[in-house]
Amino acid sequence: MATKKKKSPLSFLFNKGAMDVPFFIILMTIVTIGLIMLFSASYTYSYYFRTSSTELFTKQLIYCGIGILGMLLVSRIRYEYFKVFSFVVAGVSVILLIIVRLLPDSVQPGFYRWIDLGFITFQPSEIAKLGLIMFLAFCLEQHHKGVVGKVPSDLGVCRFVENASNGKYVIYKSFTSTIAYGFFILLFAVLVLIENHVSGAVLMLAIGVIMLFLGEVKNKWFIVGVVVAVFAVILFVMNPDLLKEYAGERIVAWLDKDYEPLGARWQTNNSLYAIGSGGFLGTGLGQSKQKHLYVSEPQNDFIFSIVCEELGFVGATAIILLFALLVYRGIKIGLRAKDRYGALLAMGIVFQVGVQVALNIAVVSDFIPNTGISLPFFSYGGTSLVILLCEMGIILSISRSARKKD
Amino acid sequence: MNRKPTKRMELRSLIAFGIFCAFLLCLVGNLFWLQIINGEEYRLKAEKNQLSDTVVNANRGTIYDSNMKVLAQSASAWLVYINPSKIKTDEQKTLLVDGFVEIFDLDPETVTKKVNRSESGYEKIIGQIDNAQKDALKEYLSKHKDQKLNTIVGIDPDTKRYYPLGSFASTVLGFTGSEDTGRSGLELKYNDILTGEAGRIITAKNALSGEMPNDYETTYDAEQGKSLVLTIDEVIQYYLEQQLSQAIEETQAKYAYGIVMDVKTGAILGMSTMPDYDLNSPYKIYSNSVLEEISKIEDSAQKSQAESNALFSQWRNRVVSDSYEPGSVFKLFVAAAGLEEGAITTTSTYNCTSSIKVANYYQHCYNHKAHGTQTVAEALPNSCNTFFITLGQKLGKYTFNKYFEAFGFTEKTGVDLPSEAAPAPNKTYYTVDRMGIAELSSASFGQTFQATPIQMITAVASLGNGGKLMTPYIVDKVLDEDGNIVSETEPKVKRQVISEKTADIMCDLMEQVVVWGTAKNAYVAGYHVAGKTGTSEKLNTDDQCIASFAGFAPANDPQIAVLIAVDEPQYYATGGSGAAPVAGRIFENILAYLNIDPQYSDKEMAQATVTAPNLVGVESAKVRSKASGFTVKVVGSGETVVSQMPSANQSMPKNGVIVVYTEENAEKQTATVPNLIGLTLADANRLAVNSGFNIKIAGTTQGAGQVLSYKQSIPAETTAESGAIITVYFRSSENVTD
Repeated sequence: MATKKKKSPLSFLFNKGAMDVPFFIILMTIVTIGLIMLFSASYTYSYYFRTSSTELFTKQLIYCGIGILGMLLVSRIRYEYFKVFSFVVAGVSVILLIIVRLLPDSVQPGFYRWIDLGFITFQPSEIAKLGLIMFLAFCLEQHHKGVVGKVPSDLGVCRFVENASNGKYVIYKSFTSTIAYGFFILLFAVLVLIENHVSGAVLMLAIGVIMLFLGEVKNKWFIVGVVVAVFAVILFVMNPDLLKEYAGERIVAWLDKDYEPLGARWQTNNSLYAIGSGGFLGTGLGQSKQKHLYVSEPQNDFIFSIVCEELGFVGATAIILLFALLVYRGIKIGLRAKDRYGALLAMGIVFQVGVQVALNIAVVSDFIPNTGISLPFFSYGGTSLVILLCEMGIILSISRSARKKD
Repeated sequence: MNRKPTKRMELRSLIAFGIFCAFLLCLVGNLFWLQIINGEEYRLKAEKNQLSDTVVNANRGTIYDSNMKVLAQSASAWLVYINPSKIKTDEQKTLLVDGFVEIFDLDPETVTKKVNRSESGYEKIIGQIDNAQKDALKEYLSKHKDQKLNTIVGIDPDTKRYYPLGSFASTVLGFTGSEDTGRSGLELKYNDILTGEAGRIITAKNALSGEMPNDYETTYDAEQGKSLVLTIDEVIQYYLEQQLSQAIEETQAKYAYGIVMDVKTGAILGMSTMPDYDLNSPYKIYSNSVLEEISKIEDSAQKSQAESNALFSQWRNRVVSDSYEPGSVFKLFVAAAGLEEGAITTTSTYNCTSSIKVANYYQHCYNHKAHGTQTVAEALPNSCNTFFITLGQKLGKYTFNKYFEAFGFTEKTGVDLPSEAAPAPNKTYYTVDRMGIAELSSASFGQTFQATPIQMITAVASLGNGGKLMTPYIVDKVLDEDGNIVSETEPKVKRQVISEKTADIMCDLMEQVVVWGTAKNAYVAGYHVAGKTGTSEKLNTDDQCIASFAGFAPANDPQIAVLIAVDEPQYYATGGSGAAPVAGRIFENILAYLNIDPQYSDKEMAQATVTAPNLVGVESAKVRSKASGFTVKVVGSGETVVSQMPSANQSMPKNGVIVVYTEENAEKQTATVPNLIGLTLADANRLAVNSGFNIKIAGTTQGAGQVLSYKQSIPAETTAESGAIITVYFRSSENVTD
């Protein structure tokens, strides 16, 4: 019997569609495993450097609760309302990135990544990632025709070129807008870079490129991009001196496996010892030995090495599979979104998580040079977790207003 | 406006997802490589990090002489190590190097090297330091507390080997090197038994070196080292060493070595190579002449080589590791073979004309002396070369070699000492197929082959124990840490070489050698010493010889065998003049010490009694040297002797007591007369001398059985003047009833 529910005054804000259950289940599985592993990985560190061995876990648990509540709330909100704020979020991100660079390096000398509000510290780059995704999703939807089609640019310069060459050289919108997007992506990346946060900048670039790719920017750009990227990587690997001191040293330490075992490679070596110790089935939950202060701050960026040690190859592969499923499900949600903005936003967010996972595991297993990327839903960090979960809420919100099969 | 996601977007998202999955697959592959293929390697590396492995040292066993006197002992000491991987600053490095150099007097370069091995977790700085040095280090560490040196430096218990008697039996005992392992002698041979097994405690630790809460703790108990009880008797060894040192002093020989063996068991009671070295500082060169030679060398490489050679030479147990031409001593075995094979009897004679032609050459007797017609009982005391050349030829090379082998000259004796020289066919001796008439002839008087002193004494002892070749041994018992016997060496007969009868004949013959032959300097009244001397040219050194004596006593019931060799004496010395007297003095001391009673012949008895010297009027200071051999007791503080007891020219025992008074009217010294009845002659004499009296022997002291005292002239428990002569009557307990 359909009895009409009483309408809430704010009902225009809410979406009553069903959320994507598989995505939610996968996500909650990851979050749960992440919490358990955080508990296991952090208790030694917490025991030695905090008031109690469960302090870090308890904090993370509280933030996780807040995050999940936030996620459920966000998932209820029609994502069209976020769309409106796309530019605002992007703008605030840029402002925050500038502010953080101007603040003193109080959290870690030489690094300007954190804003300390007293009761919480957070990284503006976490918000900036979302800001960039929202900004690009908005633009790529709005300018879809220009990006995809052969529409001559109506910029003065372009007109001039066209006229001067008698229509021989036409500058299309696809060219000018891609240049513009590239500029914005670079702006974000550079702002993160000057925080002394190379991995954040790399992540920013990666997100930008994926967004452009999904936003159907022409293929030739990616061919050029890949060539440039390959050359850049070769250049920096061959000449680590060209990079700033600490980044260059990390490349050296990655290339030379015997480099400063107690210095630059201590962290990586101990991570490898932990991973190797796990073997096929692992030492068992809680049984890691390397977490006893050998892997430095095992609850942060290197938590995955403890996962590998305790859960073994089987457990590690299962977790990687879960993340792959999460990304896949996120893409599915995106492709079923009712508009391109939703599609780009969902896929952008889910790929952001995916790229971060891939890079983190690559760092931990010495597949790429050591750089500070945390493992989403696993690494310790309250605000980061809350932001991540809220982003998941956005995806769930998009899933709620999915198109019916057409 | 259709804002649906386009097909292209779908395609692109799948491509992006494909790339993403490909990357993840690479990561999984990498994990497979790290965890499955190389997992073990990483796990071991991780364990190396995580486990703290503490070694619990086992105490090295003690070495005792046969009277349980300590010859070698381990005392606790300390070992200092560092963990260079914990060094954070250059300032710490400098402090560590300075500290170690200052406290332990170490080479700064070596220490710096160790400190700089930053990937290492353990570098030993120095071991076997005493408490004072340890305390000095601790003080230094606490002085620099702000530098946290104590997180880098560790002090572990260690042991240090002490040899309470210094150079005593040094070449036999040997010493330990670093890590408490034996480097030479018994310390080396029995290293495994002495060492025991170090225990370990393995615990997990975290990166701050604190304990890791973990049930992973494994303890392997240390197995304490076992102790050795040697057959070496401290007193016998002492006599041996004393006499060998004296021999070197007298003859200026390069080396002198000797062995004292229990004839019946093959147990080694004393063994020495002189000059020796102090076991507590074995790396010092003790020979002044060698030091002088080394100091002349200018090339530093040659110099250190020479130093190292000198040390190895100094540590060498020549009695076991060196071989020499035994010379005439070997004639004993040719005689024994001849008697055993019936080639000669005790009555067969041979006429020595001072030389004999062997394969175009003439072989001579010593000093070209013609000994004339003689039996073996004369040829042996004369050490007649021609007699033994003829006998050797008569035996033939096959029989000769049979006995050569049977007496053990072609094999190691198997004594439990390291680096025993191994006889090498056609190098140290001729095999049958290489032996011609010339070699056979020379070998018959102990030339053209070499034997080790330990081989010689083992073979000589077989003549004294009824023909049994024993395996010599030096470790009697192995004890565990609580003193329980773990194992005990049983005397081992290798083989019966000659019959008991032949052996008995040999004993008699050998006694004759000492009584009137070349070994007469080894004669000790009452002890029936039997033996043979030898003087052999050293083949590898011009104009140098080894003078040796080998024999045993008493001939009628051999107990102790002694071999003395004086190597390269600088003053003219033969076996008879250089080695036999040394052996004689050793026999005299040892047999008395072993309570083997002398059995004097009447002639000896007469010799044992002397008249008291006149000491009246002699200066007090010189009285002892004037009356050497006697026990002199000086009473009063006058300058000259005014009276003595017993008085001059009174007959008294050779080694008796004389009391001299240096002041007129001094009170006479008195003592309580001991009970001297029911004792052997030696015991009665000892007891009397110890109580300050002399004995005069009456009655018979000859006889195969026990000769005991049955009466004394001054009754026991009465008081008498010191130095008085007590007549003690002896009778034999055997063959007196019929």
